[in-house]
Amino acid sequence: MDVRLPKLGEGADTGTVVGLFVKEGDLLKKGQTMLELENEKAVAAIPSPAEGKITRLNIKVGDKISVGQVILAVEGGAAAPAAPAPQKAAPAKAPVTTGPLAQPATAPAPVPQPAENAPRAETAADKAGFPPAASPTLRAVARDLGINLHQIQGSAPGGRIVLADLRGYIQRLQEAASVQREPSQKPVGRPEQTDFSKWGPIAKRPMSPLRQTISRRMVENWTTIPHVTQFDEADITGLMELRKKFAAAYEGAGTKLTLTPFSLKAAVIALKKHPIFNSSIDEVAHELITKEYYHLGLAVDTEAGLMVPVIRDVDRKSLADLSKEVNSLAEKARERKLSLEEMRGGTFTISNQGGIGGAHFTPIVNKPEVAILGLGRAQLKVVVRNKQIEQRLMMPVCISYDHRVIDGGVAARFCQDLLSAFEGFKEEDVKI
Amino acid sequence: MQAIHTEVVVIGAGPGGYAAAFYAADLGKKVILIEQDKRLGGVCLNRGCIPSKALLHATKLIAEAKESGFRGIHFENPRLDLDEMRAWKDSIIEKLSQGVKGLAQRRKVDVISGRGFFEDAGKLRVETEQGQQFITFDNAIIAVGSKPAMPKAFDLGNPRVMTSTEALEIQDIPESLLVVGGGYIGMELGTVYATLGSKVVVVEALDSILAGADADLARPVIKYAEKNFREVRVKTKVLKMSTTGKQIKVVSETDGKQKEELYDRVLVSVGRAPNCADFGIENAKIERDEKGFIKVNLQQQTNVPNIYAIGDVVGGLMLAHKASKEARVAVGTILGENVAFENVIIPAVVFTDPEVAWAGLTEAEARVKDIQVSVAKFPWSASGRALSFDRTDGLTKIIADPQTERVLGVGIVGAGAGELIAEAVLAIEMGASVSDLAKTVHPHPTLSETLMEAAEVFYGHSTHTFTRKKEPSPSE
Repeated sequence: MDVRLPKLGEGADTGTVVGLFVKEGDLLKKGQTMLELENEKAVAAIPSPAEGKITRLNIKVGDKISVGQVILAVEGGAAAPAAPAPQKAAPAKAPVTTGPLAQPATAPAPVPQPAENAPRAETAADKAGFPPAASPTLRAVARDLGINLHQIQGSAPGGRIVLADLRGYIQRLQEAASVQREPSQKPVGRPEQTDFSKWGPIAKRPMSPLRQTISRRMVENWTTIPHVTQFDEADITGLMELRKKFAAAYEGAGTKLTLTPFSLKAAVIALKKHPIFNSSIDEVAHELITKEYYHLGLAVDTEAGLMVPVIRDVDRKSLADLSKEVNSLAEKARERKLSLEEMRGGTFTISNQGGIGGAHFTPIVNKPEVAILGLGRAQLKVVVRNKQIEQRLMMPVCISYDHRVIDGGVAARFCQDLLSAFEGFKEEDVKI
Repeated sequence: MQAIHTEVVVIGAGPGGYAAAFYAADLGKKVILIEQDKRLGGVCLNRGCIPSKALLHATKLIAEAKESGFRGIHFENPRLDLDEMRAWKDSIIEKLSQGVKGLAQRRKVDVISGRGFFEDAGKLRVETEQGQQFITFDNAIIAVGSKPAMPKAFDLGNPRVMTSTEALEIQDIPESLLVVGGGYIGMELGTVYATLGSKVVVVEALDSILAGADADLARPVIKYAEKNFREVRVKTKVLKMSTTGKQIKVVSETDGKQKEELYDRVLVSVGRAPNCADFGIENAKIERDEKGFIKVNLQQQTNVPNIYAIGDVVGGLMLAHKASKEARVAVGTILGENVAFENVIIPAVVFTDPEVAWAGLTEAEARVKDIQVSVAKFPWSASGRALSFDRTDGLTKIIADPQTERVLGVGIVGAGAGELIAEAVLAIEMGASVSDLAKTVHPHPTLSETLMEAAEVFYGHSTHTFTRKKEPSPSE
């Protein structure tokens, strides 16, 4: 039986194979990771929906594949329901990894047709009912993608359509779609290339799809969100004492108590007091959506690049549970085993550089969220407390927020409540 | 009895059915192939393409021996042994049929010998020599083919009135043979019998033989028939047949005039009818068209989504290679591929002397549909290769789009035309331009050069023929 790429989640139906862990002849188990698929959101491990001996492998590293595509065939296994084959009339799966832009290539009117695709004059071939001049293979590809070859002007002699023409057409369709969707994003001239080797030795390597996605999203977030970053310092002397006191107990429970679960809890306390920080803007409907759940993203630094696994319902979990979950998600992120679902639905993000040694910085809001908390490395500082000079452990705190929806006063209050939350942990909060 | 279950069951092991079974098995499906004949291969292999080509090949030597006298090679009159000839022909069929069987075994396709009968849309009953066997299936492919049509008026129950099936058995060499129907089957078998020595008369209701082929392609075949048959009578209808002693009395009408003649044998080749009776398609509620062919969509699906039909039983061109292509589409659809039997060029070949082959748009079709085309012709009298074996009675022509110069159709008549047409099919499928054919080097001296030269004629610079006009002439 054929095994098809299972459905990955909303808006993510294509991706590039970056890792392949099976080969022909292997015995595949259900749930076993077959491959890693990289798309704009992340690198996701794809488990097998079936089991059996692999008789045929249709993909290789670097292939762009889409949901419903046959990726391999197995025999002798228990039949498992595969993702349904693409419907005949289903939207085309353009083989390009730009999720939301992967609009059906056959999309009707609103997509402006590139000028050179003006309908052609009727030829004898049209009249005789012949398809546009193209090889049978190319026609099969076009059919599968739902592309009408009549829309494409062939570049080969006699107007014959070749693969490059089809590729160019899809690209133009997508550019047209993206220009329409995001009118503010007009390309600013042509990017320039510089030959750096003129001044010394260099090394080149391609930008991975993940890196390109990070780059695109960062530009988008930075250019569309008016950022303000608020700096302060949290006194975590008490917090660290509590941590020290319960470290052994947590170790006994099989986990390591770090600062991160505390910061998650502190953030939720402040978010509950200022729901605007837990909101999103619906730019289409011009509505403000406040979420009544607290799913917090954690920026994780991995070799491949930035990944943001999401911890769900932080408000309903104990420090111990959060501790375990943080460790396991961070581990998964580093091993590139995160599923797409584990990276979706965040309402607020925390970027903790403390482990590495940062001070204050200006994190960039992770759209469609409206705020992000950055944490630096805590240092012993001399402070004046109750008119006394004391040594306290002070942690740099930075809050970047979307100034379209969050005003400075609200942000200042949020920040104060957050600092109080860091300083206000009690024994019963930590006890297990 | 316990029903056996399979993913795909194919009914009929002709070139459509076995192609479907093998392709499905190759792609990992569990397949059962049902065939009621003892031998696999269907009409094509047992009672059609293959035996007719074997006989045409065997008898060709008789004609060639006769013709070689002027080259200084003289033969005595040949002695014919029909039993030996039949045995040789059967040995070829046997070899091919065994080959198909072996291929089925190696693919683990389960071949069941017997007649399949639909109980409903998910179950078949097979009448085998060992008794009944029930089969439940996920998908079924009907490939039961067709049989020669025999109008009631001609069905005298007399073995002297034959269809192609009997004619291929060559019981004897009749002194006189009437062929009713001047299509490819009638013309091919007429050629076999004429070469064996029969006086052959072909009657055709239409105004030309080889309907479908352009007139200029049919002309050399008519010429051959005029010389080697007693007569080719077009616009003629057979009104009545009756047994008269050891002969058949035939009443025919040409241009309002009736004629009564006696023939030793009659071959009825007026078309083929789908094998739709007696396999329970009404139980599966499968729809048929008014002519009795099973109705299918572009995916070869019948109105019952898990039942497909391919080959002669769905009508259209009743050709083995059409059935095989439809097999790929049906199996592809079962596997969830996005495929369709659409925009497929199906070449036609008639194995007369000389052969006629064409693909894509014909000149006649262009005229009927009022499509402006350019036609470039290269006569074989200008081909060194054709001259070298005295067969200059050939023509290669290209039908092209005058604006884009795209090749829309190719027609060839001449010795070996059937082998030459394949290049044209590829050109049309690839959307090649006439210039692509002209720019492709063809080996010398071969008949394949005629396609390149015809392409050069299109541009007015063929090496071996002179065309005054620089501009290709649009056909009228």
